[in-house]
Amino acid sequence: MSHRRTDGGSVGRALVQRMSGLTWDRHGPMALANAERNRALLHHGQSIAALRDAAIGIGDSAITIASGPSVARRDPGATIRASGYRGALIAADSAFAYCLRHGLVPDLVVTVDPHPTRIVRWFGDPALDTSRPGEDDYFRRQDLEPRHEKEMRANDETLELMRRHGKGIRIALSTSASEAVVRRVIDIGMDIYWWNPMHDDPDLPESVTRRLFAANGMPCVNAGGNVGTASWMMAHAVLGKSEVALVGFDFSYYADTPHERTQYYKEAVALVGETNLDDVFMWVHNPHLDLWFYTDPAYMWYQSALLDLARDADCRTVNCTEGGIVFGEAVDFQPLASFLARHGR
Amino acid sequence: MSKLLKGNFEPKKPVNAPAPTPETLEGRFEREAMKRLGGSIAYVSKKKVMWDLKKKD
Repeated sequence: MSHRRTDGGSVGRALVQRMSGLTWDRHGPMALANAERNRALLHHGQSIAALRDAAIGIGDSAITIASGPSVARRDPGATIRASGYRGALIAADSAFAYCLRHGLVPDLVVTVDPHPTRIVRWFGDPALDTSRPGEDDYFRRQDLEPRHEKEMRANDETLELMRRHGKGIRIALSTSASEAVVRRVIDIGMDIYWWNPMHDDPDLPESVTRRLFAANGMPCVNAGGNVGTASWMMAHAVLGKSEVALVGFDFSYYADTPHERTQYYKEAVALVGETNLDDVFMWVHNPHLDLWFYTDPAYMWYQSALLDLARDADCRTVNCTEGGIVFGEAVDFQPLASFLARHGR
Repeated sequence: MSKLLKGNFEPKKPVNAPAPTPETLEGRFEREAMKRLGGSIAYVSKKKVMWDLKKKD
């Protein structure tokens, strides 16, 4: 568990300012290489433009569901299912299997991260072999989806869910997606809608984003750094929904979460050492819940980007996560039940 | 090669440039850790969707 130190996080705050550059270094070239390879597979789907202002879900609202730690604690899937909500349900890839387990079929699934091996797990990885030495322990460590601690079983369940329910479900498939994800999505038989993530300002003359558009002709969407924000963007900027609820958008950890269960624990230890982790993690008080949460530089960057984008969005954004650090001038913080009472059955 | 790259003049003042510091183990760890930090994809401020090359939303 982290010790609450509101004066800590100095290294973390400095890193937030560098996240854009670090993200490009980490994933930019990989995303572009994936986009180049995926050009040969574009015929498996159509452009995301086909969903522009499409009549998906009843009414003008949408719920976007991501997989922050509140999902395990609050179980919003059960609440949504019980409400009979018939607006659009948009799931980040990481929340796709969770929705299906709750009998909720997303109207649209979104994926964007170009990582070569991790993301396919959200769709069930037919090639998963955890017996290999040095296998990535990302899923076992995380607080996001505790069921992934038993990786093989969770993967088998996901494979079965996709086999039974995945075919025909729409997916906003980023051209940055890995070969493993694209192959898997095609094998499942999902209904593919391609898009490019913005990598830089497309108004700049030497913009990578513009070059990408010129090469494959797919619309470019600002993903806000992560698949959750990309899902929210799809809801209002593509589907045209005027009120969008956020569920599972914690962008932070509960105060009782051990450091070693956070996404960048190993990197944080490598940077500052085990005894100085309070320099990397930042504490935030959520006044709506009167609770403290702590966050890392990537999550803090996501939060800042989402609040910034929400100010310019043509929709009302309502955070129904019931936890975490996403609140501010342009984001209403409400219980999920309040949103569903307005937009439910 | 070093024979070919000999200086061809004598500087008027002695040059006391510090020798490059070899990277510490700690520094290398930090550099490697930074490579693994970052989000999923880039974020562009104040933009939504670019549907075509002319019109921007």
